[in-house]
Amino acid sequence: MVIQKEKKSCGQVVEEWKEFVWNPRTHQFMGRTGTSWAFILLFYLIFYGFLTAMFSLTMWVMLQTVSDHTPKYQDRLATPGLMIRPKTENLDVIVNVSDTESWDQHVQKLNKFLEPYNDSIQAQKNDVCRPGRYYEQPDNGVLNYPKRACQFNRTQLGDCSGIGDPTHYGYSTGQPCVFIKMNRVINFYAGANQSMNVTCAGKRDEDAENLGHFVMFPANGNIDLMYFPYYGKKFHVNYTQPLVAVKFLNVTPNVEVNVECRINAANIATDDERDKFAGRVAFKLRINKT
Amino acid sequence: MRQKRSEIYSVELSGTEDIVRTDQGDDKEKYRGLKNNCLERKKKNHEEEFQKELQLDDHKLSNTELEKKYGTNIITGLSSTRAAELLARDGPNSLTPPKQTPEIVKFLKQMVGGFSILLWVGAFLCWIAYGIQYSSDKSASLNNVYLGSVLVLVVILTGVFAYYQEAKSTNIMSSFNKMIPQQALVIRDSEKKTIPAEQLVVGDIVEVKGGDQIPADIRVLSSQGCRVDNSSLTGESEPQPRSSEFTHENPLETKNICFYSTTCLEGTVTGMVINTGDRTIIGHIASLASGVGNEKTPIAIEIEHFVHIVAGVAVSIGILFFIIAVSLKYRVLDSVIFLIGIIVANVPEGLLGTVTVTLSLTAKRMAKKNCLVKNLEAVETLGSTSIICSDKTGTLTQNRMTVAHLWFDNQIFVADTSEDHSNQVFDQSSSTWASLSKIITLCNRAEFKPGQENVPIMKKAVIGDASETALLKFSEVILGDVMEIRKRNRKVVEIPFNSTNKFQLSIHETDDPHDKRFLLVMKGAPERILQKCSTIMINGEEHPLDKSTAKTFHTAYMELGGLGERVLGFCHLYLPADEFPETYSFDIDTMNFPTSNLCFVGLLSMIDPPRSTVPDAVTKCRSAGIKVIMVTGDHPITAKAIAKSVGIISANSETVEDIAHRLNIPVEQVNQRDAKAAVVTGMELKDMSSEQLDEILANYQEIVFARTSPQQKLIIVEGCQRQDAVVAVTGDGVNDSPALKKADIGIAMGIAGSDAAKNAADMVLLDDNFASIVTGVEEGRLIFDNLKKTIAYTLTKNIAELCPFLIYIIAGLPLPIGTITILFIDLGTDIIPSIALAYEKAESDIMNRKPRHKKKDRLVNKQLAVYSYLHIGLMQALGAFLVYFTVYAQEGFLPHTLINLRVEWENDNVNDLEDHYGQEWTRYQREYLEWTGYTAFFVGILVQQIADLIIRKTRRNSIFQQGLFRNKVIWVGIASQIIIGLILSYGLGSVTALSFTMLRAQYWFVAVPHAILIWVYDEVRKLFIRLYPGSWWDKNMYY
Repeated sequence: MVIQKEKKSCGQVVEEWKEFVWNPRTHQFMGRTGTSWAFILLFYLIFYGFLTAMFSLTMWVMLQTVSDHTPKYQDRLATPGLMIRPKTENLDVIVNVSDTESWDQHVQKLNKFLEPYNDSIQAQKNDVCRPGRYYEQPDNGVLNYPKRACQFNRTQLGDCSGIGDPTHYGYSTGQPCVFIKMNRVINFYAGANQSMNVTCAGKRDEDAENLGHFVMFPANGNIDLMYFPYYGKKFHVNYTQPLVAVKFLNVTPNVEVNVECRINAANIATDDERDKFAGRVAFKLRINKT
Repeated sequence: MRQKRSEIYSVELSGTEDIVRTDQGDDKEKYRGLKNNCLERKKKNHEEEFQKELQLDDHKLSNTELEKKYGTNIITGLSSTRAAELLARDGPNSLTPPKQTPEIVKFLKQMVGGFSILLWVGAFLCWIAYGIQYSSDKSASLNNVYLGSVLVLVVILTGVFAYYQEAKSTNIMSSFNKMIPQQALVIRDSEKKTIPAEQLVVGDIVEVKGGDQIPADIRVLSSQGCRVDNSSLTGESEPQPRSSEFTHENPLETKNICFYSTTCLEGTVTGMVINTGDRTIIGHIASLASGVGNEKTPIAIEIEHFVHIVAGVAVSIGILFFIIAVSLKYRVLDSVIFLIGIIVANVPEGLLGTVTVTLSLTAKRMAKKNCLVKNLEAVETLGSTSIICSDKTGTLTQNRMTVAHLWFDNQIFVADTSEDHSNQVFDQSSSTWASLSKIITLCNRAEFKPGQENVPIMKKAVIGDASETALLKFSEVILGDVMEIRKRNRKVVEIPFNSTNKFQLSIHETDDPHDKRFLLVMKGAPERILQKCSTIMINGEEHPLDKSTAKTFHTAYMELGGLGERVLGFCHLYLPADEFPETYSFDIDTMNFPTSNLCFVGLLSMIDPPRSTVPDAVTKCRSAGIKVIMVTGDHPITAKAIAKSVGIISANSETVEDIAHRLNIPVEQVNQRDAKAAVVTGMELKDMSSEQLDEILANYQEIVFARTSPQQKLIIVEGCQRQDAVVAVTGDGVNDSPALKKADIGIAMGIAGSDAAKNAADMVLLDDNFASIVTGVEEGRLIFDNLKKTIAYTLTKNIAELCPFLIYIIAGLPLPIGTITILFIDLGTDIIPSIALAYEKAESDIMNRKPRHKKKDRLVNKQLAVYSYLHIGLMQALGAFLVYFTVYAQEGFLPHTLINLRVEWENDNVNDLEDHYGQEWTRYQREYLEWTGYTAFFVGILVQQIADLIIRKTRRNSIFQQGLFRNKVIWVGIASQIIIGLILSYGLGSVTALSFTMLRAQYWFVAVPHAILIWVYDEVRKLFIRLYPGSWWDKNMYY
């Protein structure tokens, strides 16, 4: 079939477009008359209104299946991850001892982070619990709400508590504190009734050498069972997450040191191939001294 | 385009002269069609060459001059060495096959055609993005490289698939192209040798005998009763004698040249090869035909249109969101990745492959119904056909002479002309019939070939010409064993038919042992026979032939002749026993027996009757809005008669001439508008301007072109195409090939067709039957409807795949569906269902619709796109989002917590992201959840695509009218969808690269309410369309 490719001049094309946008003969705007547009807009208004309503309804029904207090499924959170504070862009703690600005932001962050741990606040809001055992607050058929939380006092962090500390968590002296925390998971009985602690080490041999000595607070990097289980944001209003502070005493300066901390707990695997943060955390430490 | 004529039959008034004039007429006229067909660059060149060719003067040369010219010897032939030299110079004696597109080009075309180019761009963008990432950060993730490679893989796979499909369908045809290597008997080095015809060279002396093909253009040196069938060249299958005399200036007309590819029917001929290979006449025609470009098929145009729409949507949304993303302060690199995602989501990667499969399925179905489709896309072309230019002989008719009417006892009887002749109901009790049947049986030289005892009579092969064959079979059916009757009535002497006598005569002993008289029987041209008679037999008694009986004879004769039938007269005479005793020796040279004052017995008329399925098929075409035009080389009266009997000219319509005849006024005074039908002859056509032809084609509903040369067919086809019609053309001769190529769909005859015709055609009718075209039309229309459904089905989910990206960019949700997952839908779960739609039955009688208007009725129209994208697609997106939100909410991320979470969510260093409940998530935990989200979204789309598949079964009718279970393949499709989904989720859930996870069983059902909504909504849509046809709703919602 011969397709007559009518060669249209540029002017014709413009003219055609103009006519498409507004056709004065038929009073059509973009190929439709006013009434037609009104009709179509009305239709889509109703149609999309209906769809929105339908979607909202199904979403509402779906949300009914979700409790406000505990998630329906936790299959992804079998192994809690570990994280460090101060939180930095690339999980690296870089301290230029002579350059105040380089660590001041870390210090600010830590101050803010540790504020809820102040002994006064803890004493005011939280209970003193018996260490060494889970602090269970079962519902027993009646909602027991809100749940009480155990005290974790800032002073427990010893040299890393930053209270009256002129060295700013050691950052100004090149002996920085890094805080390790374990991800909260609702109803997770960490440690399976046995004591657990956090240990840190250089990732490779040379890292271990460069890492030097460090001290941990609380001692041995222990995490007490009494902070578990966690009952969730809604129930466990003043829950205070246990921390482990690591103070690096003599890191080889001007070298990047890969540190890995992991938790030793009976029911937390730390060897997940794919999840590099399951029960462990790796970060870089670098102290620059001139 | 062939005709069976014999000079005796005077009804065919001046047929031969017409033909001669057309052919003689200047050769420019003959090739006018070719000249007109807008092939400026090739035209001139060929025209000149052809002209030169026609100035061929070998036919005028004497044998010695020929020997000199070609350096050969008539007795000894060429020497082998000389022949080898010539062969090296001229090349082999075979037609250069039409230029094939090299396979690699075809393959590459598949690689860049359609959407492939978009995907290539996507892939390269991926790699470039990785390159940039890598240059700034050596540890950049390889995801983009994978994605790019997957895209390339997709392009290559779909390309290979399409190429394979294409190749498969061409392979069906290649069987046709394989011709048995032809042999030629040639004299070389004074020896007769059989060599392959390919090795013939000019100057070779060849011998050809009856039944062989002429191996090259040859100048006849000597012949014995040679007759050739030039139908492959001229379209006329009437045997033409060949001898060494120079009889005509025009090389095409002269008797002493035989043309390559024509057939020697009988006798032997010795000739000198004067042209070989492409330099032969047929070679020139073939090269002219190959110059006529193949036009794009309507479906190719539609698919191109559709690709443009989809690619346009993809690219414009992609660029729009690229700009939005950049202005939302996303990094340019990320924006590029979004762009790729949008393109991948928007492009239905599997669709073009699906269309190919669908078309080839239909092609297979059509092949079963005797339509062999060469070019896959032609499958649909037939469906959009609005004009069929059909041949008469063989296509509309049975291609064999058959007795149609008898006249005896002053009465016309109708004989059964159906294919098996089974139902001969005319009155056979009259003793006139007894006499007539005897003449028919005895005055006939045709015989059945031996060894066909089990073959039905009508199918038996016969030695003898067409009329005699008809008579033989007719009498065999009615009387039984004809050979036995002839044996009983021993033939004493006979005078075979010749064109001067115009009669055939034989004298027999009778089978009555008491009757010692001889019986003289005679048949021939009716007026000739009547002249020889003095009496006429009525009811078994002889009556003197007076004026009034002569008048009734003439009335009957004219009536039968007016039906376009070939009429024969029959008479006999019992020779008085006393004058002609048993021992009398008859001598045909001295004619020592009476040939006048015979007794006239009856008339018998024959026609090549229409195939019994044709009238029905023509009616179907008419109700389907297809104009059937007959184009034939036959005589106008015969053409018109056949056209009337098959309904091409309907019973109540008249031509201008008919009206003039009825009203008894001159033709000029008739109002042209009153006539619905027109019979146009080639002579009239020759003098017409193209405007006049257009006028005829536009104004008359029923048109017959008679006495046309095959070249005029091309003019007619072009005329039809000027009317914006999609034209189907049937043809069988070599000369038809330009018209076949020019047509939107050329249909060659599988049995009668020449190879050149089959090569030029898009389709081959294996049974040469017009009715098969109608089934083809039906299939073509069905496939068009079903392709609409397939495309609508496929396009729908693109919105559901696209929305996630848009929401992701704008609202910052974790990505709901990954690019790889999208590819698994497009090329995995959706493939079989979309093919299944091709098996859907028609919703209503598609043969009662007008053919689609190729510029208005698009495959993908606005309504289809809007309804698929903005209605069902959007619903689907909402349903899939519901599943996605459900998965996230039940794991702890309620919908509101997801908004603008994207940056934190995707940050590898945030490993304590808090959810709604205060739990903290590592990156990997989130990533796994994200994959679960992909899987959920995938399942959501999958479930709703099942509903989409079901609603797409119909466009107007309710699903319940159509039947939910009538198309079983749909259920195979649904099963495949679910099974592939299950395998992906549960079988490959652990393969990280595919980002599928094991989804909880209940999530499969979350989207079900939306699926049901889709079904209900579509039922409502269809209900309103049916209730209020033509309404605003109908106009906007029917696709």
